[in-house]
Amino acid sequence: MAKPKVAFFDFACCEGCQLQIANIGELLLDVLGLIDVVEFREVMSEKGPDKIDVAIVEGSITDKHAIERIKKIRERASVLIAYGACACTGGVNGMKNNFKLEDIRKEVYGDRFNYFDTVETKAVHQVVKVDYFVNGCPVYIPEFVKVLKCALQGLPYEVPDQSVCTECKLNENVCMYERGVTCLGPVTKAGCNSWCINNGNICYGCRGMVSNPNEKGAQDVIKKYNVPMDLVMNKMNMYNKCRENDKK
Amino acid sequence: MLHNLEQYVVLAKSDFDHFIVALAREQKVFAPVAKDFGQFSFEQVTEGRQVALKYIPTILPPKKYFMPQYETLATFDTSTGQNMEPVVEYEKMVLLGVHTCDLAGIQCLNMVFNERPKDLNYLIRKNKITIIGYECNDYCDKYASCRLVHNHTPNGGYDLFFTDISTDKFIVHVNTLAGEEIIEKANVFEPASEADLKALEKLRTEKRAIFAKNEVPIEHERISELFDKAYSSKVWEELAEKCLACGNCTNVCPSCYCFDVIDEPNLDLKTGKRYRKWDSCQNETFAKVAGGESFREERGARQRHRYYRKFKYPLDKFSRFFCTGCGRCSRTCMAGINLKETLSKLIDEQGMKNPNAGEVKLG
Repeated sequence: MAKPKVAFFDFACCEGCQLQIANIGELLLDVLGLIDVVEFREVMSEKGPDKIDVAIVEGSITDKHAIERIKKIRERASVLIAYGACACTGGVNGMKNNFKLEDIRKEVYGDRFNYFDTVETKAVHQVVKVDYFVNGCPVYIPEFVKVLKCALQGLPYEVPDQSVCTECKLNENVCMYERGVTCLGPVTKAGCNSWCINNGNICYGCRGMVSNPNEKGAQDVIKKYNVPMDLVMNKMNMYNKCRENDKK
Repeated sequence: MLHNLEQYVVLAKSDFDHFIVALAREQKVFAPVAKDFGQFSFEQVTEGRQVALKYIPTILPPKKYFMPQYETLATFDTSTGQNMEPVVEYEKMVLLGVHTCDLAGIQCLNMVFNERPKDLNYLIRKNKITIIGYECNDYCDKYASCRLVHNHTPNGGYDLFFTDISTDKFIVHVNTLAGEEIIEKANVFEPASEADLKALEKLRTEKRAIFAKNEVPIEHERISELFDKAYSSKVWEELAEKCLACGNCTNVCPSCYCFDVIDEPNLDLKTGKRYRKWDSCQNETFAKVAGGESFREERGARQRHRYYRKFKYPLDKFSRFFCTGCGRCSRTCMAGINLKETLSKLIDEQGMKNPNAGEVKLG
């Protein structure tokens, strides 16, 4: 059986999640033994064929050209994997949606702004159908490998819909709130094995919020620990702004 | 109340380090170790000074050694049909410094996993673990409710049990053959004297004054009745408003044992493993079934379920409370859901308050 043809694409992003592929280490050889990489701008100049088995898409959709491009990729691909925070939740690009598009263009492009169109930032699934999500900024490689295995076998992958706290507690970390630091773990989707907290950092919410967060409860906690509300809103905003598009 | 002098030995505190070093040479030793911010966890130790004998309950209870967070149950190979090989992961080890609340937690797990069909992975591993208990002479902090569930004094479930009876020595109850072997090999324990036993008795009497009455104003025997009445209580709605459903309360609970089983292929997509990992009734997806229906969608219903799993269902099934009184769920809850408070509210609501419940008549 021929190896599945896999192509990587990027939209508005830092391409850091694709770079994570290079960080896989020895496992990379096993991954490459499993797939045939036909397009990957960071490492090769060839373009893939018309039909591909798996499209791995990094980045969020931020202009009309991108909308056209992602639609074409969707048509070419049997399976589409949204890869990284920008693709899965809109990521940091979502912060653009806090401002008027006109102001944004002027800020970035100065008096030539008319040459450049822009649209409200969208996560990939807000434009085309997405089959698998690999959340995170950057992606957590063990999860990516899990998703890839599911995709290649045609099995579903469910992103954990419980908070980062569940994994953090299993790792027996001292709670950041105990340390007097605000952490978005309680409302953020697990699946990263509390990667940041294991390494002494807080959770920034890069994997997106759980589907049914207790907003009232979270506010009470924020009050209890004397955290200013706008600080938390800013933190939430960083990765979760595009969540509003899902509600529309 | 204390009987056979032969069952007791003493260890000079000056020999404690020597004992740990010698023990750690024989097998892996795990004991409470201090972490940041007044927290503790069970970690591997090789010297006495690493051990924090005075500690509040560790972040995770020792159940992590009896049922690891992730545990492989089988490996499979589908290249020539459906071949599956069972796997049991275990290692010989000593747990040292286990408080009576956590000993109770291990006893709960033993009962659950001994039920038919018996959980062999658990039972095989459990048999490789030697337990050295350690007595609490005082409350660890305000969250504990060990008196309420009668876990403030030892009720078995250990191989050896240490009690700090004076400034210079521990008295040790030798409960099993495995415990006896450790004592003999270590060669630093002395037979206990009548005076040592007297000191232990005195300490236990003093403890009766410290753990003088139930931490929550209800009689031990009436808790079952309380939960019979409280199913539709408003208190669960209050918890629903607070709860973030992070699952911390169940993960840190010494008697919560729910797990999920997952098949994961290797990268060759032919071989792979079946493993289990801790799950929690507080998680959004725990009670979700095919079709997307969840039969405990409300956070309040999930919290209620947790309480009933500690104070009601196991009482009917195993005749014991599965709350060990360790206080971990209250200590860890960032939303401030507090077990003692919840019980007190239920008691008030049902008009079952008795401020002197469980009071010990001294003298």
